[in-house]
Amino acid sequence: MKVKLLLRNPQDYLRETADDIHKLARNPAPELHPMSAETEYVRALNAAKLERVFAKPFLGCFGDQGDQLSRVCMHPRALSLCLSGCVDGRVAFWNIPRRSRVLQLDAHSGCVQGLCWHPEQDLFYSCCDTDRTLKAWRVGDDLTEFSRPVSQRHLDFAPLNLDHHVSKDLFALSGDAVYLYDSRRSDPVGQWKWGSDSVLQARFNPTEWHLLAAVTKDNALLLIDTRQREPLRRIRCEFRQNALCWNPQEPFVLATASDDYNLYSWDARRLASPACVYRGHTNAAMDVDFAPTGRELVSASYDCTVRLWESGRSQSRDVYHTKRMYRVFAARYSLDARFIVTASADFNLRLWKARASEKLGALTPRERAAVNTAEALKQKYAHHPQVRRIVQHRHLPKRLYQAQLEMKAIRGKQRRKEVNRREHRGEDKEPFVPERDRHVRGVDE
Amino acid sequence: FQTTMDVAAEDSDQMPSGFHAKAAAKAARLRREAAKLASAAALESPGGIESRPGEWAPTQSKLLRRVAVAARPGHFELSLQYGPYSVAYDTTGRLLALCGRGGHVAAFEWRQKRLMFESQVNEPCHALTWVGAGSTPQLAVAHSNWTYIYDAQGLELHCLKRLHKANKLFWLPRHWLLAACTDTGHLHWQDVSTGQTVASYCGHHGPLRVSALHPDSGCVLTGQPNGQLCIWTPLEKRPVVKILCCPAGVRAVATAPAGHAVYTLGGDSRLRVWDIRCLRPLSVSDSGADAASIRLFDAAPQLAVSQRGLLACPVRQGAALMVLPAGGAKPLLSHPSPGRLSDLAFCPWEDVLAFGHARGLGSVLVPGSGEPNPDGAVHPLSGKRQRREAEVRGLLDKLPPETIAPPAVGGGVNAVDAEGIEEALARKRAAVMALPSDEVRQFQPRRRSGKASGELNRKVGERWQRRRMELRQLLKSKKRVLAEMGDEGADAAGGRKTKKAKKVSQSGELTKPATGTFLDRLIPKAD
Repeated sequence: MKVKLLLRNPQDYLRETADDIHKLARNPAPELHPMSAETEYVRALNAAKLERVFAKPFLGCFGDQGDQLSRVCMHPRALSLCLSGCVDGRVAFWNIPRRSRVLQLDAHSGCVQGLCWHPEQDLFYSCCDTDRTLKAWRVGDDLTEFSRPVSQRHLDFAPLNLDHHVSKDLFALSGDAVYLYDSRRSDPVGQWKWGSDSVLQARFNPTEWHLLAAVTKDNALLLIDTRQREPLRRIRCEFRQNALCWNPQEPFVLATASDDYNLYSWDARRLASPACVYRGHTNAAMDVDFAPTGRELVSASYDCTVRLWESGRSQSRDVYHTKRMYRVFAARYSLDARFIVTASADFNLRLWKARASEKLGALTPRERAAVNTAEALKQKYAHHPQVRRIVQHRHLPKRLYQAQLEMKAIRGKQRRKEVNRREHRGEDKEPFVPERDRHVRGVDE
Repeated sequence: FQTTMDVAAEDSDQMPSGFHAKAAAKAARLRREAAKLASAAALESPGGIESRPGEWAPTQSKLLRRVAVAARPGHFELSLQYGPYSVAYDTTGRLLALCGRGGHVAAFEWRQKRLMFESQVNEPCHALTWVGAGSTPQLAVAHSNWTYIYDAQGLELHCLKRLHKANKLFWLPRHWLLAACTDTGHLHWQDVSTGQTVASYCGHHGPLRVSALHPDSGCVLTGQPNGQLCIWTPLEKRPVVKILCCPAGVRAVATAPAGHAVYTLGGDSRLRVWDIRCLRPLSVSDSGADAASIRLFDAAPQLAVSQRGLLACPVRQGAALMVLPAGGAKPLLSHPSPGRLSDLAFCPWEDVLAFGHARGLGSVLVPGSGEPNPDGAVHPLSGKRQRREAEVRGLLDKLPPETIAPPAVGGGVNAVDAEGIEEALARKRAAVMALPSDEVRQFQPRRRSGKASGELNRKVGERWQRRRMELRQLLKSKKRVLAEMGDEGADAAGGRKTKKAKKVSQSGELTKPATGTFLDRLIPKAD
């Protein structure tokens, strides 16, 4: 008779020294893991709940600027620096991690309408519509206080915005038209206009060096090639587009923030309708910015919120609001796509996290594995109603929540009436128009 | 299995770019490592007895001579005086607890014979189970009236008055639930981590004296005197499933710690094995032996099933215990009991079986009963820190009681709601085929008054007249299509072409539909 009894050697299960990690027995046989799907679901639910527990995106205020902020401009190369322009003409230079002001200049006598950095030199430009000037300022290594600009240019139009080319020594001023200036020449190198209304903002495409986009006051979006004398295209929208931003990773994609509470992303190759309509704000969208990854957007809105979006998804991923934050006029991503700086009408710049529940310190390998696992679990069970409810829900203050309900009711009414009209009048007289095609009046060439 | 990426990785010039090649190589490497881990030679191999034909089942002394000395702690006898004893191991297999009808409650680590506590509660104790995780073990004991929970030092922590006259206690480790069946016919599920009573109701099926827990799903199985096996869940006050498993009353029910086998002993003394997933008898085992050929004549036997499927049962009116191999009828070993056998319990993760009898308790070696390779920290050799970690993780992963459902009923977190999808599709099809509502067809535009109203009213009236004609045509065509489709009606509408007899007009030609709408697609075409 052969007898074998199960006897374990404790040494096989104990760690050798106190410096080792504990040994963990592993047997992947499914008989030892019943209800594994349910356990995974509970872990996904817990991951969703913990994400909300740790979601504290607000990092701090930069300090009272004393008057309404009009512009925010991030440094193109340094992660921790940004500029802000004020309506009383002051320009401030901020250290983002410390949230402290490095220096402040009395740049203009009126509202600072444009701010942009030179891509390579330690030089930034500011323009004002009241005194019709464009000033260039040099920032020294020791960031000392100084009061006179390096150069100053008087313009014969009131500039409304300013943008610098990504590599060449060109900048675009928007006023009654789009003007292209070379820093070495006093006269504009190019001028484009379509219609009689002023141009609110013109931005260079970071990849296609000859391409410019501009938004005008008469609800139009212009596409301009600097090699041509006339603008390429004009898209006539229903409402005014307040701001625009090119996607830094995809050369043909741009996003605009509209007065009709939406953001639109456009494919420059096919401008007949927007590629995506981002709906969520309950008042005019004032500013839009792409993340350096090109996959996310941030929008600042007149309804006192900042919303974050994933490129291509029309529902916002997150919404930031504070009791003290009033109308938000500018929002910018930091260069590492981890932080957002917002400028609002309550005279403050604020710093936020782009991922609300992200841990800011260094993650140990186990922490990183845990975070990745949680993320994968949430995605796997994203369609389950309990998990979806927790992941999607955001608390809003009462007035914002009521505004959202109002927008929902308005939209519901519009849809309902359409359906009734279609039933009464017939499909041919009331055709079904997809959401994307409802917002563009026409494209002109 | 191989995917396209694997195939492509082998043929690297098929990769569109270096990025893809690297990603494919990394994926292939991870897959190889996972396969290696899964198929890795397990640390331990299971025990067993290989006997020559004609050899008798070994006695304990014979086994002890053939195994290592380290196995000796598994064989011991305790002579105690306080009545028939019930025994329970905790989930790690490290601790053994006993309770006697004479009021004796004790717990000890059976390997080192280190006593944790021992007390006399002066009340008959009928059942016990370890609750909680291995780091803070607690013992739930069903006294004659109420159930008490004791900690590792024997201090009484809780008195659960709701669990009144419990005769069986069960611990659901994944749900952190203490389940109880009572002599009054009630079932209780108590959450031990939050203290909440999840369910407590009368089953209205008489006193529940024969019961077992199905650990994989968390359901309680009870055997009824009319031969039924009832499956209970906390969310339903009636048995979710009832199967007739024995021609006479059910005398015993037992389940394996893992898997889908349910053992029932009927009034005809036959042992039957059921598959709880399909509620049918389990197929005959490979050895050809039929479990139904086993007959056990004890009045109310306590059966126990080990992790590897060995079945322990009392024989000779409780004078001895017998261990049967999985699916077999020839006993693996037997052992005499000093007193009448009252309880049997296999030690998880070890080849040991504890039995309680009228004069104390004992423990025997049963080669091949324990699962050799555990997973995680729930095994006898896990340290204190690991058990603490496992307890915290267990609490975080606590499953809600809604997940307790018999496998036969189906559902589960990842189940696809096929019925719901079908219903939704049918509703959509019905909407397509919906007839224009009566309100729309009978709508009368309101008549305006004032200047130039006559002309306006005429125009609006004309427009509505035209629209009513259109709707009438639409209604006719839809009705015709529905009629042609026959009994299937609106549910089948939406693209399915039926080969029905075509309508032939008096002139002998096929009738053509008069509508120019999209419904023409649904009308069967002429050959």
